[in-house]
Amino acid sequence: MIVTAASPQILRPPPSDQDLRSLLLIRHFELALLRLFEQGAVSGTTHTCLGQEYVPVALAPLLLDEDFVFSNHRGHGHFLARHAEPYGLLAEIMGREGALCGGVGGSQHVYHRRFLSTGVQGESLPVATGVALKLAGSGALACAYVGDGTWGEGAVYEALNMAALWRLPLLVVVEHNGIAQSTPTSAQLAGTIGARAAAFGVRHHRITSTDVEEIRAELAPLVAAVRSEPAPLVAEFVTHRIGPHSKGDDTRSPAEIERARRSDWHARYAAADPERFARIDQEQRAFVDRLVAEVAARPLATPAAPPALAEEPDRIAAAGATGRRP
Amino acid sequence: MTTLTLAKAVNEGLRRAMEEDSKVLVMGEDVGKLGGVFRVTDGLQKEFGEDRVIDTPLAESGIIGTAIGLALRGYRPVCEIQFDGFVFPAADQIITQLAKMPLRSLGAIKLPVVVRIPCGGGIGAVEHHSESPEAYFTHTAGLRVMACSNPADAYTMIQDAVRCDDPIIFFEPKRRYWDKAEVDLAAPGLPLDRARTVRQGSDVTLLAYGPMVKTCLSAAAAAEEEGRNVEVIDLRSLNPLDLDVLVESVTRTGRCVVVHEAPVFSGFGAELAARITEHCFYNLEAPVLRVGGFSTPYPPSRLEDHYLPDLDRVLDAVDRVFAY
Repeated sequence: MIVTAASPQILRPPPSDQDLRSLLLIRHFELALLRLFEQGAVSGTTHTCLGQEYVPVALAPLLLDEDFVFSNHRGHGHFLARHAEPYGLLAEIMGREGALCGGVGGSQHVYHRRFLSTGVQGESLPVATGVALKLAGSGALACAYVGDGTWGEGAVYEALNMAALWRLPLLVVVEHNGIAQSTPTSAQLAGTIGARAAAFGVRHHRITSTDVEEIRAELAPLVAAVRSEPAPLVAEFVTHRIGPHSKGDDTRSPAEIERARRSDWHARYAAADPERFARIDQEQRAFVDRLVAEVAARPLATPAAPPALAEEPDRIAAAGATGRRP
Repeated sequence: MTTLTLAKAVNEGLRRAMEEDSKVLVMGEDVGKLGGVFRVTDGLQKEFGEDRVIDTPLAESGIIGTAIGLALRGYRPVCEIQFDGFVFPAADQIITQLAKMPLRSLGAIKLPVVVRIPCGGGIGAVEHHSESPEAYFTHTAGLRVMACSNPADAYTMIQDAVRCDDPIIFFEPKRRYWDKAEVDLAAPGLPLDRARTVRQGSDVTLLAYGPMVKTCLSAAAAAEEEGRNVEVIDLRSLNPLDLDVLVESVTRTGRCVVVHEAPVFSGFGAELAARITEHCFYNLEAPVLRVGGFSTPYPPSRLEDHYLPDLDRVLDAVDRVFAY
């Protein structure tokens, strides 16, 4: 029997309504963002996780409220799978009232409860390590999402070294989508991520499935060990980005993009249970339409005065300037 | 009163801060068993344990990143960067995370992290052991930058820095580590963002911080013999700047010389000169002059006396502001 990636597989059990809702919310949220950018309704830039939505959705029930999650530039899915705050996130990205961080964080710098993202590659790993240092033994963990490109950054290795040395509950989730912006993994990563983790004595697990239940079954005991031992784990997802790196900047050939699309969970889940999928898809599409309309109609966010940090010299100058000839 | 070296004063200040608040941690390379290469953290691990005084791997970026994570958990880490020149691998975390995170979260995230950096030359060491990198950090919005110059200030300033909720870059003048002074361990210090007039004068104002304060005091004493009454201000806080004290002084004296070890070109002195000019333009008898290092990598130790500003170079600048 020839099985292609797009063939419906026998899923045991099928994704729950809740999982499908979460997956399709993220899909429609990201598609809506790309449309908003096209319309010029959002400024700045964004990175969507089209094709990779299943990673945070699979992880969601494996994470506890007490856990910390560190996300990266491609983080909307990480956030939406964990926090039921799509209005707050879209308002943050659009700089509208109700924004999670007053609209100053934007797409890449979201802070909400125990969720924190940053766009600079690898920088979150030492921070997650520091958080994990004082979580050890509590049963909670620090989870950091990184991509395959991030493994070029030195901070990754400083953090892995410390996490292994100090036996910290650190879960490193690698979304290995085979391409770092425009550079294929083969041109930027020597050796393998597994071997690099092994060099630090850090457990590594590679996940090729895109089925949320299958992934959970694979990862649950490993994540439990991160908490109980505690010890770090690198969970490497072989995944595919079916959208551009940012917006309209996909340098891959149509054939490569088509290959990525064939791995998309979307078609597979749609084919497996067409009626239920279509119903939930329609529901989430309509929800995101309402979400966009409501948030876009809000006034711009007016963040409160900056925090009491170091007094700005400019402010002192303005207060004390003496522009008159004595 | 107790006689303390500057290194011991920081040590005592850290000890006091750790006693006061169990959330205060000390971390860095060789800070535990060894007590730091300058022994600034001497005895702290023995007294407070390995959980609170943490010997880290050689990983400056990792140290600061880990400290940020600890601060997110409510701790108050004090990180030692072993030598000034080693702070550059940590610059990524300091500039992109430590400085920006509190601002980006509109203050919801507090990062009370102190980064201690032994700075400057004068100990016969090599380039990456003798640098003055303060301008990189004063240029970064979101950081407080402090520099102590004497044991009494070092003792209170480090405690104030640890108590402060803002991220702080704390410079310690390494060639003054062994200078001794009487320190009143019970006396409160100046608030952490205030400058101190360390010598009053009426003819010219010298602005300095860290290791150059002592040099400027010597220059002032020498100038007095020539009949010049020199005021010396120790900035203590580089950001924020206690501009009122500076402006009051220069408005009165009409002349100003800025002194630091770092290269003059694009150095922190440029900011001071510009600010003084903006505020005191009509009171200035001469342009604000700057004395500092040269635009070259820090030289080999046998040449450092030619590189470092000394009494003669400060006095030369004083002569020049009087020559206008």
